[in-house]
Amino acid sequence: MERMIIFCVLFFCSSMVLTATPQKAMKYKQLVKTIGQLEEVVKDKDVEFLHTPENPVDECLFTAVTCFQNGTLKLQPKNSQVNSKFIKTVNILKRPILKDSGKQCESTCESYEKKSPKEFLKSFSKLMKKVINQSYRKSTI
Amino acid sequence: MAVPAAFLAPVLLLCGLGPRLAAAHGPTGVECVLFNEEYMTCLWGSRETLTTNYSLYYWYENRSPVVECKRYLWDRGVSIGCHFNQSEIVQFQPFHVLLNASLNGQALEIRSKRMELQDLVKPGAPVNLTIRNMSSNQLQLTWSSPYPKAQCLEHAVKYKSNKDTSWIEHGVKGDIFSFPSVDYEKYYTFYVRSKINSYCGSTQLWSEWSVPVVWGRNTTSLAEEQLQWFWIHTVLVPIASCLLLLVLVVLLVRMERVWVILMPRIPNPSKNFDELFITHNGNFQEWAGVPKDMLESFKPNYSESICYVSELPSRESHDPQWDGSNRPPGGPGAPAGPREHSPYQNNYVGV
Repeated sequence: MERMIIFCVLFFCSSMVLTATPQKAMKYKQLVKTIGQLEEVVKDKDVEFLHTPENPVDECLFTAVTCFQNGTLKLQPKNSQVNSKFIKTVNILKRPILKDSGKQCESTCESYEKKSPKEFLKSFSKLMKKVINQSYRKSTI
Repeated sequence: MAVPAAFLAPVLLLCGLGPRLAAAHGPTGVECVLFNEEYMTCLWGSRETLTTNYSLYYWYENRSPVVECKRYLWDRGVSIGCHFNQSEIVQFQPFHVLLNASLNGQALEIRSKRMELQDLVKPGAPVNLTIRNMSSNQLQLTWSSPYPKAQCLEHAVKYKSNKDTSWIEHGVKGDIFSFPSVDYEKYYTFYVRSKINSYCGSTQLWSEWSVPVVWGRNTTSLAEEQLQWFWIHTVLVPIASCLLLLVLVVLLVRMERVWVILMPRIPNPSKNFDELFITHNGNFQEWAGVPKDMLESFKPNYSESICYVSELPSRESHDPQWDGSNRPPGGPGAPAGPREHSPYQNNYVGV
């Protein structure tokens, strides 16, 4: 009887794990969409340039995402009319995205080149697309 | 005067030759396409536009050293492109390409722009297109893609019926396309193609259209069916009915029993009354056999004279009420005038 219960619990847990991974992909897809929305309402002229990680190595993925999230907080809306949409999208991007894998990263956020907000967001979007792409590749192997 | 002329001549020569040089040695750029993430080809021209052999060098930014292409693509003795294996392709890393050639001792170098290979993926065309008939006139089209990451794809379905003039295109996110209302009289053709969606890359490269799949009744088979029906209606049916008619006519003429059933004789009962009309000369009583003394009793043994009745115009407004029973026979109900002598001794006299 006990063995059956343990087996059922293990089976249940494994099925949860299987359903959990696609949800992450959904989360990342939502982030790509949100970044796209933010690109439409962000102010691009006469603003401070931000450190933009470009093609970080796998060990530096968490650092790069954190760098992007911190940079998002320095963005400003294009005009007062898009303020509500701007605040909504920035709040979505504040939420934790990746877990710290604990790997050692050699580059810091400040070591990356500074770019305009639109370029910054494009690179952010590209990074998320890389994460999605690689997560699908892992699931197909 | 001679100096400017000497100066002008090479300038004119260069001007004349320049465009020709540019036209002859003009790879406008390097175009790379990743086919289904299995291999990549980078092309820089064709036999017509190139006059010399170029060699290609590539590297990934901050990653790999500069490497020469291992497998060139040739067109009639001129290198026009390079073929990359799957192991030589890295996505999400900026990719740079350098074209080198030497022409008449001069080194030509063409540096291509920075490329992101994930934006240059062209997936393979969808395969195994199948149509399933769902309930209530609904069709479901499904397919599979040779591209390994199916979740990275978005698709487009294009279809047309044999009665339509233009194609209708629909974007589809998943692997299924539901066609809501299908007309069973029409003949439909479906094509599908794929593209990397915006969550896995930023590409505009669609795959090739798939092999088509069809549904419905084809008009050529319909024409055959119609031809069949035509033969039945216009040839077979008239002949059969004519034959039937012929058989009936023959039967009628030859067999009186059949004739009598179809055309019965109108009964003539006058034969029964031959006796009455011919023998007894229309005397019904004689033919019926009524006895003579009964005949006698019907004859009246009294004589009646006719009583003539006429109306006199009356001067007074009040007329005596005439009783129906007192009315003399032989006249309508009119006031009596002076009478002749009658057996009924009528005392009424009009006043």
